[in-house]
Amino acid sequence: MTALVNRPMPGALRRIRAIAWRHAIVLRRSPHRLFDVTLWPMVDILLFGTLAVYATRLSGSGNEVVAYVLGGTVLWHVVYQSSIGVSTGFLEETWTRNLINLMVTPISELEYMAGVAVFGALKILAGVSVTALGAFVAYSFSVGSIGWAIIPISAILLTVGWAVGLFVVGLVLRFGSGAEALAWGLLMSVMPLSGVFTPVANLPGAIQPIAHALPTTHAFIALRAAISGAGIAWGELGIAAALAAGLLVLSGWFVVAMLRLFRKRGYVTRYS
Amino acid sequence: MESVLEAVGLVKQYRRVRAVDGVSLSVGPGERVALLGPNGAGKTTTLLMLLGVLTPDAGTVSIFGHRLPKQRQRAMEDVGFVAGYLPLAERLKVREFLGLYARLYSDADVNDTIERGLARFGVAHLADAMGGELSSGQKTLVGIVKATLHEPRLLVLDEPTASLDPDVAYRVRTGLLSYADATGAAMLITSHNMAEVQQLAHRVVFVQAGRIAADDTPEAVAALFGRDDLEGVFLHLAEEL
Repeated sequence: MTALVNRPMPGALRRIRAIAWRHAIVLRRSPHRLFDVTLWPMVDILLFGTLAVYATRLSGSGNEVVAYVLGGTVLWHVVYQSSIGVSTGFLEETWTRNLINLMVTPISELEYMAGVAVFGALKILAGVSVTALGAFVAYSFSVGSIGWAIIPISAILLTVGWAVGLFVVGLVLRFGSGAEALAWGLLMSVMPLSGVFTPVANLPGAIQPIAHALPTTHAFIALRAAISGAGIAWGELGIAAALAAGLLVLSGWFVVAMLRLFRKRGYVTRYS
Repeated sequence: MESVLEAVGLVKQYRRVRAVDGVSLSVGPGERVALLGPNGAGKTTTLLMLLGVLTPDAGTVSIFGHRLPKQRQRAMEDVGFVAGYLPLAERLKVREFLGLYARLYSDADVNDTIERGLARFGVAHLADAMGGELSSGQKTLVGIVKATLHEPRLLVLDEPTASLDPDVAYRVRTGLLSYADATGAAMLITSHNMAEVQQLAHRVVFVQAGRIAADDTPEAVAALFGRDDLEGVFLHLAEEL
């Protein structure tokens, strides 16, 4: 047992933990960054919850719409937090001009991104908990009403968030800090296309094919099915999982290609 | 004997400028080599290629026999790097900044590693200071502590004393020499301070327009160009550009 406890941690795990630890310290030192996991989620719940309640009262429809909107808001934060976690984790290194320092250590690119993602997972837990709690306190909506479907849906949305975050990292590697606004902007353009609150049939017809090509759209269809009591929509989840995996592979390929270009063209000097 | 660093035929082209044009360089165990040259000569580009940060268009780099980029992780375990122009993370305490790097390199007791590293350069009192509170000299010293925490066998220093007061620059030089003497580490250093180079380096490699113009002891290089010292050689090469 002692030997087990004293056994050194494998190098990769140690380095992943070191990166997660570093970002945790930075968060502790920058309380305003906690807004991402506290204030903004609450604002979203209040904003969209109020709109949903108002629309329900006007139309005289049941509370199902409120549940769809609040469920969508809570789970959208899985995408948002995972994406922001990855992209701003990397951006932190550019803001502090720490990239060269890290590139001259034994850490690999994969280990680095894993460290950022591990820390991001803790932020997701915090952000989603805050939205779930807010939805429960303000509108008596319980995420428990989603049932077991919440697990595969969250996993898919987490994967999509990582893919978007990686894509943003690739853009920053290629175009420099000017591309960092996309860390937030890209997600804002994906949100309305994903039918987060309502079926994509409500979108203009020309945009609907784009919406159906997004994994998030199918994940939110599955969410609404779960809330309405129709059980787990395995078909939609299967499509969403396949699209999310494809997106992650594409983003991974993109970031590797941009990193190769970054090393080849010497873009690192932008941060020295 | 195993070579510490071996670079052969490095080439780097940026659009219409050939920044590095066939540079070959080696550093032996315990050897202290200075890479010198006027601004734009290709020193930093060469250094970044030697560290695997920049991909050469042609040529090869091996560190302790590990070929870059494939074996970069293995190679970097024994390399420490510090650049005078890189800042310290302002939102981290010195102890936390060093803690990140101690954890990246080894399983050893982090606090102990940090205490020893800071004490080696006489800055143990800075452990709990915030990065943003430090003077330029203190930041450089902490940067050197960071680069030597894991006791690397190759220390690469890019302008370590740039813009430092003479007394702080002296402390940096003394600290580096005592580190090299105590550990037997090799050093590759760039600097614009020729007096400093003469104190630190066993060998100097002058780069001019991306090519190596001279590679020998400081005295031999000065003699080669018919100058009294490295300052004269530097001025001579800069005038030729």
